[in-house]
Amino acid sequence: MFSPKTRTRVIDIGLQALTVVVVAAMLFPIIWLYLTALKPQGQMFDHPLAVIPRTFTLENFGRIWNTVGFPQAFVNSLMVAAVSSLVSTILSLLAAFSLSRFEYRLKNSFSLLILGMQMLPGIVIVVPLIITLRGVGLTNHPAGLMVSYLLLQMPVAVWMLKGYMDDIPVEIDEAALIDGANYRQLLRMIIAPLMLPAVVAVGAFAFMLAWGEYIFALALITSTEARTLPLALQNAFGQFQIDWGMLTAGGAIIAMPPTVLFIFFQRFLVSGLTSGSLKG
Amino acid sequence: MAWNQKISHRLSAASQRRANFAAQRRRAAYLFILPALIVLGLIGLYPLLYQVYLSFTDWYLLTSPEPIFHGLRGFERLVTDPVVWASLGRTVYWTVGTVVLELAMGMGIALLLNRRTVINGVLSALILLPWVAPSIVVALTWRWLLDSEYGTLHYILQSLDLAGRRSLLGSPATALAVLTFVSAWKGTPFMVIALLAAMKSIPHELYEAASVDGASALQKFWYIMLPLIRRTAVAMSLVLGILAFYSFDIVWAVGKGGPADSTTLIGVYLFRNFFERKEISYAATIAVSMLVLLLIFSAIYVWVFRQRDS
Repeated sequence: MFSPKTRTRVIDIGLQALTVVVVAAMLFPIIWLYLTALKPQGQMFDHPLAVIPRTFTLENFGRIWNTVGFPQAFVNSLMVAAVSSLVSTILSLLAAFSLSRFEYRLKNSFSLLILGMQMLPGIVIVVPLIITLRGVGLTNHPAGLMVSYLLLQMPVAVWMLKGYMDDIPVEIDEAALIDGANYRQLLRMIIAPLMLPAVVAVGAFAFMLAWGEYIFALALITSTEARTLPLALQNAFGQFQIDWGMLTAGGAIIAMPPTVLFIFFQRFLVSGLTSGSLKG
Repeated sequence: MAWNQKISHRLSAASQRRANFAAQRRRAAYLFILPALIVLGLIGLYPLLYQVYLSFTDWYLLTSPEPIFHGLRGFERLVTDPVVWASLGRTVYWTVGTVVLELAMGMGIALLLNRRTVINGVLSALILLPWVAPSIVVALTWRWLLDSEYGTLHYILQSLDLAGRRSLLGSPATALAVLTFVSAWKGTPFMVIALLAAMKSIPHELYEAASVDGASALQKFWYIMLPLIRRTAVAMSLVLGILAFYSFDIVWAVGKGGPADSTTLIGVYLFRNFFERKEISYAATIAVSMLVLLLIFSAIYVWVFRQRDS
């Protein structure tokens, strides 16, 4: 009935349509969250299938922002994620330099230790970590969370940075060293600038890990002042069960930064993460 | 003989310089990795060893302010605790279910995205959003979607006769299965991206050669693609399986392991002992046992890959 060419064309379009539908279905919960956050209160419970608002509003975001403790939680999350990701990126860059550019006896043991820490699930370290932090008086303080998040960020950051650094030819090092540079200068003035986009991407990834973190925050923080966003949202959920607009707006505020950062740095992160986890 | 001495003198000076250089290199290597090691030692290794010690003690915050050594009694309690075995059973169900669903959904979506089009390029980036979403947001969003009164998904499931009046999350018979699906939903994107990368690295000539030999699309998938992405699929299944086995946050944020303990995974039981019951040493005992299981998992992982490589 159709020529073979039209047939493949029809199949192509059909497959493309199917792909769009399947991916949209996967993303539906996230799309629903944003649409509900933008829905006026009056339309909230019109009908379960009325997902798309008839009119859009930002008033839900205003309401969650005026909830007691929410701005404070936002500041806490921002500060904890920013400081921990900055510190872990710098320390990881130094460690990656050591693992990528030098040969020494304990290198394999060190690699194994860092790899082991990466495989360590949060739930099996939370008890002694919290007790250790309590011992030094860091419970209910954002600083305690900053320190804990280094544990989540550093191992994966070291592997990703080492991966990118391995791609920079050693000849560049040799040229710099012959010109009289020392190792610190080599890293700071040659290698780090060469892989700057990757360093920024790894920093962004570390930020994402800390920003939405739940287990350590839940176990470490009980006071309202020290709360981060996930805890503030959970608390608001308990108090204002029925105000879906306000709560979804809160969810959107937490989900947005990692989403934007990831889309922005997607190309670097995907290759780094997949190759890292496969090598590991 | 003077020239001979001269040369050997020069040689030793050169090797001296080389030795100095090597020592300097070694010092630099250790100095650069030292800060990271100190931090990981203090917040990773030390707590880990401390936890092993705690697992051999009795430390119930309501009765004693300090841990008291009591040998293996914690582990005896663990193996005779019916809740541990029930939680472990649920965790195995959860882990296997999560990985099977991730493989099935991940393979399907990766195959769809494998055709090189502009739209698929955009979709491959967007597909990662569930994986990036913070777990508290994932947990609450699914609670809303499955809400028995206003939940969109609940309404659809109800009209298909797949759900009754109660939310699927509110009934002990269905909550674990539904949350297992949510866990797979969050992990699938990672599987998709890894499989997609493996699929795209297969040289096109292989398919062309097979076409010339008259292979069907199914045969090309089965005899060319599948063997070449199997390694990635196994590796990702193990990585995601380990992640699933230690799941805690979504289940806790949705309903703290309820209703009626029906979603109490082993990680949830650990946290409950620590957080709610203040039985610190028992929580440590559970954690150490889970770590031993992790070591066994990792050993299998490494072993499987050694087999493959050789």
